[in-house]
Amino acid sequence: MTEPSRTSILDDADRARWRALDWRLLPEVGRAPALNMALDEVLTERVGRGDRPPTLRIWGWSGRCVVLGRFQSVRNEVDEAAAAREGVSLVRRISGGGAMYIEPQGAITYSIYAPDALVAGLSFADSYAFFDAWVVDALRGLGLDARYVPLNDIISKGGKIGGAAQARRAGAVLHHTTMAYEMNVPLMMGVLRIGKEKLSDKGMRSAEKRVGPLRQQTDLPRAAIIDHLVGSFRKQFGLMDDRLSDGELAEAERRVDERFGTRAWTYFLP
Amino acid sequence: MHGEYKTPGGKLVAVDLEVVEDRLQDVMVSGDFFLYPEEALTSVTASLEGLGVDLTEAEIAERVRMALPRGAELLGSSPEAIGAAVRRALAGGAGADGD
Repeated sequence: MTEPSRTSILDDADRARWRALDWRLLPEVGRAPALNMALDEVLTERVGRGDRPPTLRIWGWSGRCVVLGRFQSVRNEVDEAAAAREGVSLVRRISGGGAMYIEPQGAITYSIYAPDALVAGLSFADSYAFFDAWVVDALRGLGLDARYVPLNDIISKGGKIGGAAQARRAGAVLHHTTMAYEMNVPLMMGVLRIGKEKLSDKGMRSAEKRVGPLRQQTDLPRAAIIDHLVGSFRKQFGLMDDRLSDGELAEAERRVDERFGTRAWTYFLP
Repeated sequence: MHGEYKTPGGKLVAVDLEVVEDRLQDVMVSGDFFLYPEEALTSVTASLEGLGVDLTEAEIAERVRMALPRGAELLGSSPEAIGAAVRRALAGGAGADGD
């Protein structure tokens, strides 16, 4: 748990691992927050079973929400009255990590669903560095001095750009990353509870100072940044355009009804 | 009662609990840490349930460590951090969210 993590960006051996797989792209489609949660589980399981090729999915959001990490408590993280007042829904994802406040055009989120062979021999901690390396390279291609900071952050001089989280299912690993594009700081600060203990070793006075949204750092439209990231992935590793199958979507919708849209799941830790 | 501990350079763990007849009850362990497999959280929480309030941080950490299933991995936090959060909760919430 305390072994040193690699901080280098993508090297030739890593690139060969990525290129050995036959990648598919699921482009951005606006979806309800709970369906996004369900799709992560369904697609990870399907890649683990070999029912879907390794996949990069760009997320679209149909509304404002708070996405809680798998192990976070609702009352410790969210001011529910403020969230309800602002029309912010609440969902819980399958991966650990911290709560995110999402506005549809304010975030850039993607998931990578890969057979666990992609990270064979890497520790959990090193696999975060491995999965983030290509996107750090791509952000550098936009002129940012981006770098990976263990365990799961992508930062630049301009501030924290994003964070990653992983979940594992039989035979597969899910690695998803959310990057801030544009922040509604007053609303975020009103909805999320950001405690003093969390900031205790950051040396910073407020959460907003920790984040450097990509719009501010690049002056590019959100779609242009997504195109650049996808293009970088495609150029380096190969990527074929794809779409969700009807079966995948139906299974994810069932999973929303059974799990991700239920109070039992969202309030698993009240 | 509520206590938190953030591992320097790592993640936050929070413990909520009640004390009944000098024992921990209704324990909830939460935070922005990573834990594989996810179900191991149940074992961690169960290991704290019923513990005496006079255990030290190290003793609590040992209970947590023993409860983690073989192969389970806690990233960004540690049994010691959970022990510290429990002690803070029992001490009246030092390290808690400002109140």
